[in-house]
Amino acid sequence: MKIKRFCLISLILSVSFIAISGVHAEEYPKNIIRLATTTSTDNSGLLAALLPKFTEASGYEVHVIAVGTGKALRMGRDGDVDVVLVHARATEDKFVAEGYGEKRYGVMYNDFIIVGPKDDPAGIRSAKAVTQALDLIAQTQSLFVSRGDDSGTHKKEQYLWNKSETRPSKTWYREAGQGMGKVLQIAAELDAYTLTDRGTWLAYHNKSPLEIRFESDPLLYNPYGIIAVNPVRHPDTNHDGAMALIKWFISPDGQTMIGEFRIGKDQLFTPSADAGEFAAFSKAY
Amino acid sequence: MESLSESTVNALALLFSGNAELWEIIGISFRVSFIAITVAVPPALMTAFALTYLHFPGRRLLISINSTLLSVPAVVVGLTLYILLSRQGPLGEWKLLFTQTAMVLGQIALSFPILAAMGHAALQGVDRRAWETARTLGAGPLRAFSTVIREARFGLMAALLAAFGRIIAEVGASMMLGGNILHYTRNIPTAIALETSKGEFSQGIALGIVLLVLAFTLNALLQNFQGRGHPVS
Amino acid sequence: MKDDILLTVRSVKKRFGRREVLREIELDLKSGHCLQLGGPNGAGKTTLLRILSGLERPDQGLIDCGDGRIAWKRIRRRLLEQTLYLHQQPYMFDGTVRYNLAYALPNRLSANEREERIKQAMDWAGLEPIRNTSAKELSGGERQRVSLARAWLRQPRMLMLDEPTANLDRESRRRTLNLLTSLKETGMSLVLASHDPLHLSTLIDRCLLLHEGRLVETEPFKIMPLSPSHLPSPMRFTA
Repeated sequence: MKIKRFCLISLILSVSFIAISGVHAEEYPKNIIRLATTTSTDNSGLLAALLPKFTEASGYEVHVIAVGTGKALRMGRDGDVDVVLVHARATEDKFVAEGYGEKRYGVMYNDFIIVGPKDDPAGIRSAKAVTQALDLIAQTQSLFVSRGDDSGTHKKEQYLWNKSETRPSKTWYREAGQGMGKVLQIAAELDAYTLTDRGTWLAYHNKSPLEIRFESDPLLYNPYGIIAVNPVRHPDTNHDGAMALIKWFISPDGQTMIGEFRIGKDQLFTPSADAGEFAAFSKAY
Repeated sequence: MESLSESTVNALALLFSGNAELWEIIGISFRVSFIAITVAVPPALMTAFALTYLHFPGRRLLISINSTLLSVPAVVVGLTLYILLSRQGPLGEWKLLFTQTAMVLGQIALSFPILAAMGHAALQGVDRRAWETARTLGAGPLRAFSTVIREARFGLMAALLAAFGRIIAEVGASMMLGGNILHYTRNIPTAIALETSKGEFSQGIALGIVLLVLAFTLNALLQNFQGRGHPVS
Repeated sequence: MKDDILLTVRSVKKRFGRREVLREIELDLKSGHCLQLGGPNGAGKTTLLRILSGLERPDQGLIDCGDGRIAWKRIRRRLLEQTLYLHQQPYMFDGTVRYNLAYALPNRLSANEREERIKQAMDWAGLEPIRNTSAKELSGGERQRVSLARAWLRQPRMLMLDEPTANLDRESRRRTLNLLTSLKETGMSLVLASHDPLHLSTLIDRCLLLHEGRLVETEPFKIMPLSPSHLPSPMRFTA
C-alpha cells in the first residue's frame, strides 16, 4: 500500500517537473512582441489603430501592457517585456544610461493641458504661463488632483511644480495614485483641477463636466520615446521583434499614420521621429 | 534590480521606523473599517434576529437575497454605489464619491450580508428554549433579546471578525469609491495596488505584512470563538 | 387553601398544519391546586402548557386570567407574568449556576437582597456546592433543581411543568417531588403534564386526560391506559 502511494506521488512529481521544465525550455513565441506602454497611448486608442497595421506588415503580434511609466520601465528593467514606449524624458535617459535599454528613439509628441471646473475658481484661464497657472491654483487653494502614481504625467506635473513658485499643500492637493482616466473622473467629482495629456482628455471630455482651463505652453510639450530592452542583460527577450517595432514606428509609414490618427476631428500626436535616425537604423538592421 | 529579500528588509525598516505615511495609510484603513462595521452591526443583528425568530411573509426570500449578496463580488458593490453616488447619479447631490464616507458605505454594503448571514446562523445555533426560558422567567422582549445575543456571543463574534477581515482587506470597492487619494482615502489594499503598479515593492510588502498579521490574529481569534460555540442541549 | 379561580379557559383550539391538536379545551384552574394532565405522547399536553404559559398562541378561544382581557397581546403579557413554564429538559443559560438563579430575580431588588435571595434559593434546592459550576455542564437532576430554584425565586402564581421527572433517576425524582411539594405549599398552582404520574401522586389534587383534543376528567391516581380504545367515552369537563 505504502509503496503504491510512494510510486504514485513520485509519478505525479516527475510529471509536473517535466511539465514545468518544458515550459521553461520553450521560449516565448518568437512572433510575439511584449510592449509596455503608458496608459495614455493605450487609452487614447492610438495603439489599437496602429498595431494591426504593423502586424499586417511584419507578421509580429504585439501584446500591449498599459501601465504607468514607472512600472513600464521597471518591467523593461526586469526583462518582463521586450520594448517600452513611454514619455518621461529624464527617466528614459537614465534607463538607457544604466544599461537597461539600448537606445531611445523619439517617436512623437503630444502636449499636456490643465483641465478644471467650468467656473474656473482659480482664474487660470488668463494665466500667461503654466507656472503662473499653478501658482494661482495654490494661492486660491483650489482643489488639484494629482496622478500620484509615478507615471510620466505625474513626473511632468512634479517638474512643473518645481518650476513654479508655490508648493502643493495637503489641504488642497490630492494624490490619487491612479490612471489618467480615473483621475479625470475624480477631478470631475471633486470640482478640481488636474494636469492631463491631451489624448486622454479628448477620449474623456465628452463624459466630463470639466473644461480645458490652460494650454499651449512650451513647458507642456510631451515627447514619447521607444526603447528596446537590452538584449545583453536579458537574452531571452524578443529583440528582433522589438527592433522591427521600433523601425516601423519611426519609419515614414508609421509616422504618417501617427499624424493621421484622430479622435473626432482632433489630431492627438505629432510625429517627431528623426529622419536621420531612421536612415541609420535602416542601415543597421 | 531590487531583490525580494532587499524589498522585504526595506519593508520591515519602514514598518518599524514608524514611517508616517505608511502608518497614516494603516490608520485610515482601520478607521474606515471600524466605522463601517460599527454602523453595520446593529441593523445586521436586528435582521439576523428577525430571520431567526419572526415568521413574516418574505422571510425565505430575504434569506436568499442575503445569500446572493454574500457572493456578489466587491467590485460590483463598488460599481453600484459608484453609479449612485457619482455626480451624474441619483445621489450625486451629496458629493460623496471619492470620500471616506463613500468607502464606509461600500464597506457597510459588503459587511452587512456576512454579518446578517453568519449572525443568523449563530442565533439559529441557540436553542429556542433560551428565548422562551428568558421570557417565562419574566424578561421583557428587550432583555430576552440581549440574553439570546449573550448565548450566541461566540458565534456573533466570529461573524464580526469575518466581516471585518473581509472589508479591511478588500481592494475593489475601496479603489472605486475612495479613489485612493493620499492622506484621505488611500488605505492598505489600495496602497498595495498602487505601489505594485509603480514598481515600488517595499511599501507594498510592508502593508502586506500588516494585513498578514491582521489576518493571522483574526483567524486565531475566530478559531478560539468557534471552538467555544457549544449549544449543549 | 383558597378556592378562587386563577385561570379560565374556554373553547381553546390549536392546529399545526392539518393536524388539529387541541379541539375544544375547557378548563378552570384553582389557586393552590395541582392538576395532572395525562395522555399519550403527541396528545397535545406540551402545546396546552405552552399556551397557558403565554409562549404559544391559540388559534381560537378565550383565556381569562381574572381581569377580563380579550386581546391576545394583553392575555399573553398576563400569562407571562403569572405563570412559569418549565421545559421537559430545562434550558441553562451559558454561565454559572449562580448566574442562572440571578436571572429569575426581579430587577428592582438591591444587591444585598439579591445576594440574600440567591443564597436562600441555593439552600432550598441544595445547590450551594455547585454554585460556581458552569450550568451547561450539569447533570439532568441538577438542571432540574436549578430550574425549580428559579421558579422558587420567581414565585409565579402558576407553574407549568412538562414531564418534570421523565428523564430522572430515583433519587432525583424524590428530590424533585420534595421541591415541588414545597413550592405548592407556598400557594403556587401546578399543572403537571405527565403520562406516568405515580411517583408524584402525593402532590396531585385532580387528574385530567387529554384525549382527541379535549380534556376528560379521570379518577385520580389511576394508571392510565395508553390505548385510546380503552378510554371511557369522552365527557366534556366544565367548572
